Amino acid sequence: MPSEQDLSADVVIVGSGVAGSSIANELARAGISVIVLEAGPRVDRQHFVENFRNLENKPSYQGPFPAVPWARHPPNQITPNEYLHTTGPDAEAYQQVYLRMMGGTTWHWAGCAWRYLPSDFELKTRYGQGRDWALKYDDLEPFYYQAEVMMGVCGPDPSVEDLGSPRKQPYPMDALPISYAAQQFRKLIGEKTPYRVVHEPQARNTRPYDSRPTCEGHNNCMPICPIGAMYNGSYSVYHAEAAGAKFVPNAVVYRIERDSANKRVTAVHYYDPDKGSHRVTGKYFVIAAHCIETAKLMLFSADEQSPDGIANSSGHVGRNMMDHTGVQVSFISGDKALWPGRGPLETNVIDNFRDGDWRNERGAYLVHMVDDNQVDLATQLAIAKGYVGRELEEQIRYLASHTVRLFSHNEGLADPDNRLTLSKTNKDMLGIPHPEVYYKLPEYTVKSCEHTRGLFRDLIGLMHGTDEEWTPGYFPQDHPAGSTIMGTDPKDSVVDGFCRTHDHENLFIASSSVFSSVGTGNITLTVAALALRVADTLKKELAHA
Amino acid sequence: MAADRPCFPTSIHRSTPNAIRLNRALRMSRRDALLGALGAAAVVTGSRQGMAATAGQDDTGVPLFMALSQRLTDRDTLDPRIGNALYAGIINAVPERRDQIQKLHDFMTGGSFASARALASAAEHQDPVFKDVIQDIMTGWYRGLADHKVVVYRSALMFDITKDAIYPKTYATGGPFYWTQTPPEVAVPTGEPALSPSKLVIEPT
Ligand SMILES: Cc1cc2nc3c(=O)[nH]c(=O)nc-3n(C[C@H](O)[C@H](O)[C@H](O)COP(=O)(O)OP(=O)(O)OC[C@H]3O[C@@H](n4cnc5c(N)ncnc54)[C@H](O)[C@@H]3O)c2cc1C
Ligand code: SF4
Repeated sequence: MPSEQDLSADVVIVGSGVAGSSIANELARAGISVIVLEAGPRVDRQHFVENFRNLENKPSYQGPFPAVPWARHPPNQITPNEYLHTTGPDAEAYQQVYLRMMGGTTWHWAGCAWRYLPSDFELKTRYGQGRDWALKYDDLEPFYYQAEVMMGVCGPDPSVEDLGSPRKQPYPMDALPISYAAQQFRKLIGEKTPYRVVHEPQARNTRPYDSRPTCEGHNNCMPICPIGAMYNGSYSVYHAEAAGAKFVPNAVVYRIERDSANKRVTAVHYYDPDKGSHRVTGKYFVIAAHCIETAKLMLFSADEQSPDGIANSSGHVGRNMMDHTGVQVSFISGDKALWPGRGPLETNVIDNFRDGDWRNERGAYLVHMVDDNQVDLATQLAIAKGYVGRELEEQIRYLASHTVRLFSHNEGLADPDNRLTLSKTNKDMLGIPHPEVYYKLPEYTVKSCEHTRGLFRDLIGLMHGTDEEWTPGYFPQDHPAGSTIMGTDPKDSVVDGFCRTHDHENLFIASSSVFSSVGTGNITLTVAALALRVADTLKKELAHA
Repeated sequence: MAADRPCFPTSIHRSTPNAIRLNRALRMSRRDALLGALGAAAVVTGSRQGMAATAGQDDTGVPLFMALSQRLTDRDTLDPRIGNALYAGIINAVPERRDQIQKLHDFMTGGSFASARALASAAEHQDPVFKDVIQDIMTGWYRGLADHKVVVYRSALMFDITKDAIYPKTYATGGPFYWTQTPPEVAVPTGEPALSPSKLVIEPT
């Protein structure tokens, strides 16, 4: 079904998550015309808050966000999955979740906003492992700051707590006063171990910021902050729209059209939910559709000119899938009551294993003491133990105040065999295949996880812990990266240091899909910094055009 | 290739020209199980009709359920509106529960049990199925769940007994940075379980 009228703009962006919407905002504010095509619907916070309250399985982060049938996302992290089909020896370790709706996956992120370390960009040079990026930390530093200002990141004073990523400016907001549980954990680690607990940089308001309120400690950052004290992509959508960018919801991009020389992208095509097809032309195109959907779109756009998919002369589109696959344990502390779950969910981290010479053989990691309300879990546990009445109430109070949960983010490594392909057996209602990922954990990550398990056992001992519950196997951390990898050599990479595809001069990618290594912190601040750098490049090129 | 079967009408975006109506469609449908729609009506009217709307045909089961619930929670008062909705959910999920609740009630009134623990352990000894009935009742009142639905969230007893320390997620009212303050200490419990232990099955996410 052809559309009556073609849409056109200077810059056409696919995806309205933090990457796409922040580029749209920057460009629209510079007077550049922008269209953002978003596969999912417009949504509003209050309905998700209500969905959360009515959810039986509260720890299910996807639970409050049902997908629309034309833009499906993984319904949960269960393998086999109804949408993201994972295979291979560590299929379960790659069962990522994400959202397809206006504003993207940060509706249910936790706001942890780390800059990477300079070494993260030079893993090959420094440690002989994985790959180097085609840019250095210093190239990104100004954009890290711009991203921190955009999101409203609070963090420690660098002269008091240096997180290892050199800063030219202080954090936009003062550090968050940490919870009693976090204070006790910090004290214990500081006094009884050679390690330290640092204040996690986080996109969470410690004062009113960007017309959003101060954090009230609802402890529901994942899956949904009820008041918007935590940044998410929807705020960049609102700002971009106010500056004149056009957002088209329910627009599922399925094809990337190029000129006869196959050098420039001329249009993208999208389906509306009735499978009406629309063509959108522009001067520049940015794919910002999340690591998994970006690679899927580029592969699905294969045609006679590019039989292996768009921007894929290297054959690396869909390869090098990485994550911060982790380890998780919960236990009952034998020490004083901590009452975790008062305040934000993730605020304090052991960062001693973020960098060191040992990175030549095992991956780096961060440890979170998850400050999560444990009342419901405590109640389930106490009922299962057979308590009733007064004794049940005693148990609930004790378990809720003494349960400790630790998890880690362990560094993955680019391996071309870890690969995303189009499902041959499942497609959605528009006829677009589901994504499929083969995953085998790199030895580098396995060794890192082993090290973490040892540390966790020490910490459990230190806290006189009992009733250990280890999450079986490995824990996917929803930080997929690498599917359109960055590099200097077009033969083994998809984009250059500016996130421009080697094959098509006006096609950029803004996503963790460009990461050459997955680094040692949560990914999104780096996604945003790279996206803002793309916006900067586009502004300059359009000004000269 | 297997194409997805749409989970709700795919023309939904067209029937909803404005975002708000589309969003309404995106809300989970099982929310109607909530108290507002169920028990409240029963309490306001206080009539057989109101009860029947909640508990199906069997309004006579509700007082038995409430009496059992009071004994098993060691509490003199429980909210009857919540009780109505929990009872309806429990017997809807497992119809045999209606009969089992009646029998457990008979067992309770046939003896003299001074505590929840005394009743629960004797009941399991009498008939192992009573353990499941009791755990449904505990899950209902303490977690606010019945029939895999949320009957109440904020008013679940687990939050009542921890309210001096912590808030249900999304309902924090402690004031600026309340979380920095020292919460109450909790003594190591000395009470014994009443029922045999079960394996804790955590729902996958
Ligand atoms: C539970 C959870 C917790 C997390 N916590 C953290 C955290 O604390 N810190 C952190 O750094 N990161 C965290 N992350 C990761 C973070 O959410 C992502 O890194 C971030 O959302 C990536 O932004 P993005 O814009 O690249 O992609 P997204 O936010 O996923 O946005 C991509 C958008 O593209 C749209 N799209 C997809 N396909 C198409 C198509 N074909 N056509 C048109 N549009 C399309 C999607 O609908 C979506 O709106 C977390 C993730 C999860 C799941
Ligand atoms: S603690 Fe509450 S208010 Fe603060 S960011 Fe998290 S959900 Fe929002």
